[in-house]
Amino acid sequence: MIFFAQLRSHFRSWWNALVHRKRIDQDVEAELQFHIDAHIQQLIDIGIPPQEAARRTRIEFGRVDVQKEKYRAAIGLQPLHEIGGDIRYGLRSLYKKPVVSVVAVLSLALGIGATTAIFSLIYSALFHPFPYAGADRIVNPALVNEAHPQVPTWFALTPSQFDSLSKAKSIESIVGFMLAGLTATGDDLAEDVRVAYVTSNASSFFGVPVKIGRSIQPFDVATGTPPSNVVVLDYKFWQRKYNRDPRVIGQVLQLNHENYVIIGVMPQRFAFTETVGNADVYIPWTAARIDHLFPWVKLKPGVSLATANAELQSFLNQFKRETPKHFPASFHVSVQPIIEPYVHRTGRTLALLFASVIVLLLIGCANCSILLFAYGESRQHELAIRSAIGASRFRIVRQLLIESLAISCAGAAIGVGASFWLAEVPLRLMPNAFPQEAAITINLPILVFSIGLALIAGLLSGLSPALRLSRPNVSQVIQSTARAAGAGTSKRNLNILIGLQIVLTFLLFGSAGAAIAGFVKITSTELGYEPHHLMAIGVPLKRDSAKNQRVRAAYIDQLRERVAAVPSVLSVAVAPESLPPAPPFNGTGTFEILGGQSQQEQRAMIFLVSPEYFATLKIPLLNGRVWDQAENQRGDFVAVVNQTLAHRYWPNGDAIGHQIRADSLKDDGAPLSAASPQSGEWRQIVGVVADSRNNGLEKPTAPALFVPYTTFMWDNTQLFIRTAGLPLASLKAIRTALHSVDPEQRTMTEIDDLEEVLQRQPVWTQQRLFSILFSFFAFIALVLASVGLASTVTFAIARRTNELGIRMALGAQRSHIVWIVVRATLGTVASGVAVGLLLNLSLEKVIQHWSPGSVSAPWTLVWVTLLLLICATLACLLPARQAANVDPIKTLRCD
Amino acid sequence: MGKQVDLLQGTLEILILKAISLGPLHGYGMLLRIQQISGQRLEIPQGSFYIALYRIEHKGWIKGEWGESENSRRAKFYRLTPAGTRQLKSEMEKWSQMTEVVNTVLCATPEQI
Repeated sequence: MIFFAQLRSHFRSWWNALVHRKRIDQDVEAELQFHIDAHIQQLIDIGIPPQEAARRTRIEFGRVDVQKEKYRAAIGLQPLHEIGGDIRYGLRSLYKKPVVSVVAVLSLALGIGATTAIFSLIYSALFHPFPYAGADRIVNPALVNEAHPQVPTWFALTPSQFDSLSKAKSIESIVGFMLAGLTATGDDLAEDVRVAYVTSNASSFFGVPVKIGRSIQPFDVATGTPPSNVVVLDYKFWQRKYNRDPRVIGQVLQLNHENYVIIGVMPQRFAFTETVGNADVYIPWTAARIDHLFPWVKLKPGVSLATANAELQSFLNQFKRETPKHFPASFHVSVQPIIEPYVHRTGRTLALLFASVIVLLLIGCANCSILLFAYGESRQHELAIRSAIGASRFRIVRQLLIESLAISCAGAAIGVGASFWLAEVPLRLMPNAFPQEAAITINLPILVFSIGLALIAGLLSGLSPALRLSRPNVSQVIQSTARAAGAGTSKRNLNILIGLQIVLTFLLFGSAGAAIAGFVKITSTELGYEPHHLMAIGVPLKRDSAKNQRVRAAYIDQLRERVAAVPSVLSVAVAPESLPPAPPFNGTGTFEILGGQSQQEQRAMIFLVSPEYFATLKIPLLNGRVWDQAENQRGDFVAVVNQTLAHRYWPNGDAIGHQIRADSLKDDGAPLSAASPQSGEWRQIVGVVADSRNNGLEKPTAPALFVPYTTFMWDNTQLFIRTAGLPLASLKAIRTALHSVDPEQRTMTEIDDLEEVLQRQPVWTQQRLFSILFSFFAFIALVLASVGLASTVTFAIARRTNELGIRMALGAQRSHIVWIVVRATLGTVASGVAVGLLLNLSLEKVIQHWSPGSVSAPWTLVWVTLLLLICATLACLLPARQAANVDPIKTLRCD
Repeated sequence: MGKQVDLLQGTLEILILKAISLGPLHGYGMLLRIQQISGQRLEIPQGSFYIALYRIEHKGWIKGEWGESENSRRAKFYRLTPAGTRQLKSEMEKWSQMTEVVNTVLCATPEQI
């Protein structure tokens, strides 16, 4: 209690001293004046003459205004007051040297801005990308199939399984959803609408309020009453179809000839189904609407992933006994935090970017240090006088640090402002890599980070100059008018800083070179197919419960023929699974060769295509033939392989005629698929085609097996269309052709131009981003380092003006003067470049690990070395030439 | 500032508290009263007197208010706060214990040991 009372009184007096400063000052003065007057009066009273009395009192007390300082010291505010003075003094001295200050501030602003930008990107894309309540506890229960352990898969639950899973002890709540494609009817043009059926607790599970209207509520599907036909719109769909009209609430949206009342619109930051496809609308789930659900689980606080895995495993083992077809033969549960796929995709990229901006910040700090050193040299006189009249070393260090902190804070203010623009760049250049819901915002952690960064940068750049300059050799400095004194240590420090800048700049250039070389390699990859003027259109098919393979195949073929008849279309192929250069959607499958004795599992990419596929993609046929139309209709008994597969199993080139079969082509009896009668049986290899990229851009072509698409069909297919002009220009004619087969035949909204698909490949966007950002950072580093060099030389000249004047007066050539001035600096540059070169060569492995797409490119280092040497020489020579042009008479006179 | 002054400061604080405990006073008055009570034997350095005064006020043991002095001038009068009264009491106890102990040690004769 006493302690708190005292604390309160402390704060009151501090508050008064700070806020009512003027009044307190007056009070202290008045009180002391009263004391002095009373004392004088007393002395007069005992018979001392008034003048003598006043004199004695003054001697005894000192000056009245000193008392104010005593007052502040007594209540503990003295340091604060002094720092205030230091700040004012510091700002004034920075203001006196505007060029130095501006360059120093900008150097740090670039570093701090870039670092803050990457930090806020990491923060918003990986730490807090989701707007959901308790997002860090939401997990995606995935399965790892022991047969294909690389990629975790999802699983669907029946309604009763869903209910029993929600009783798991480690689960706080569980939301279920399922995507489906419906057709918007009632309008002129049939449009594909992607529907997410969500359980009615979705609103409380996610905790994201609707933008307008209301969310789906449990009473929408209350038992006993028929479920109400209500729909909540996704923001993008609302924007696209309704032009963001708020009057949409209460209107009717017709889907598959059924009316749904629009009750709400979700905000822009909501796209939870992103990983399986974006939804246009959300409809309350009922078993009658769709009979399965994907679960998303929110774990109870404190439950570890291992605990959850163990508990869910026992549930899923039970479910597998009920519905064996929904689960792989052997598997284990691996719940994934919903951020996991993004961390996997971009974690390393962001780490490397963060490292590079830290390097940039260090270069900026070094630059600031150089300027402070150089500027400090010209202030030695002033500092020596301060020290001579009694300033402690601590006070001088504090003064100098406050100046560098003022610079770094100004830099941080500018940098943070710029960072919000810069942080958007990676989001724009790498759109698929980050969660759609991630939004770059100004928030407390980012501000705290940048303030911390400013303090660290200020200390880092200010400490070494401050420690060095706070030890002036007073007698020497004050006696000599020249400024040559005490230059030795400063010069060494400066050289270290310049060398450091060169090394770091070299490192950034080395990474930029490797990234660009990697990008060039990717863009110039031999694809094996021709993406120019080629597009892929997804075509959803009507559900037909009969699962008649022949009917479905005939319908697809009819679609293909109608599109082929469009005038601007050159050729059309059917290939539901493929989107080169990516692997087929279902990945790889195992196969056997008749008479083969391989003990090892043989795997190949299995493509379901029509015979026109090879001609349409311009994949050359090397040997044999492609199956004909009749064989295509039947689907069985034929196959074509790619060169890699043929070479691996028949190195002598006799692949044709051998028999091959693939397990995954067997009819799985799933509700939506239709297979040919002997899809999983032996097939004869009738042809060998050239390799084309089928496993991403950076990996070598995988063995591939092509079979007729009629072997195995789902409820959707895909057409590859080569056109004479730009593919999208023919889109309307193609859609009309499809409608001529069935007026309600829709297409997927997203059309894939194969050239754009190429540019959407993660390694493509990532490498482009790296190339751009590294080049940008390296360029900034080069500018900063050049400025650092130029200012070092400039200040070296200023320090040696006298000496240079004498040399010139004695007849030194101008070229000689230039050489004297730049000699030492160029030596540092050369050693910096040498160290940078070595460092780059030794760090090659590290950079490759963090940026897998980069390519080691020693020849880029040659160019970097040349570039650095040229820029450094220019940065040294420009100020040095000026020194050589100065009139020697003037230099000699100058003090 | 050396150690001697520190010791004096500590003592000065009790003296100030004691002086005011007899009735509100302004700074100069305290100085006079302490000197008067001590029989002019205690010379108080004028410079550190106000530092001690301000520090005690900062700690909340005394409170100053502007009033009128004997010769009708504006002067700041200090009085003890409840916290100051408590502080004075405990300081006085400490002081008497201290002097007692020191006295015992100083007056020790060889026989006692």
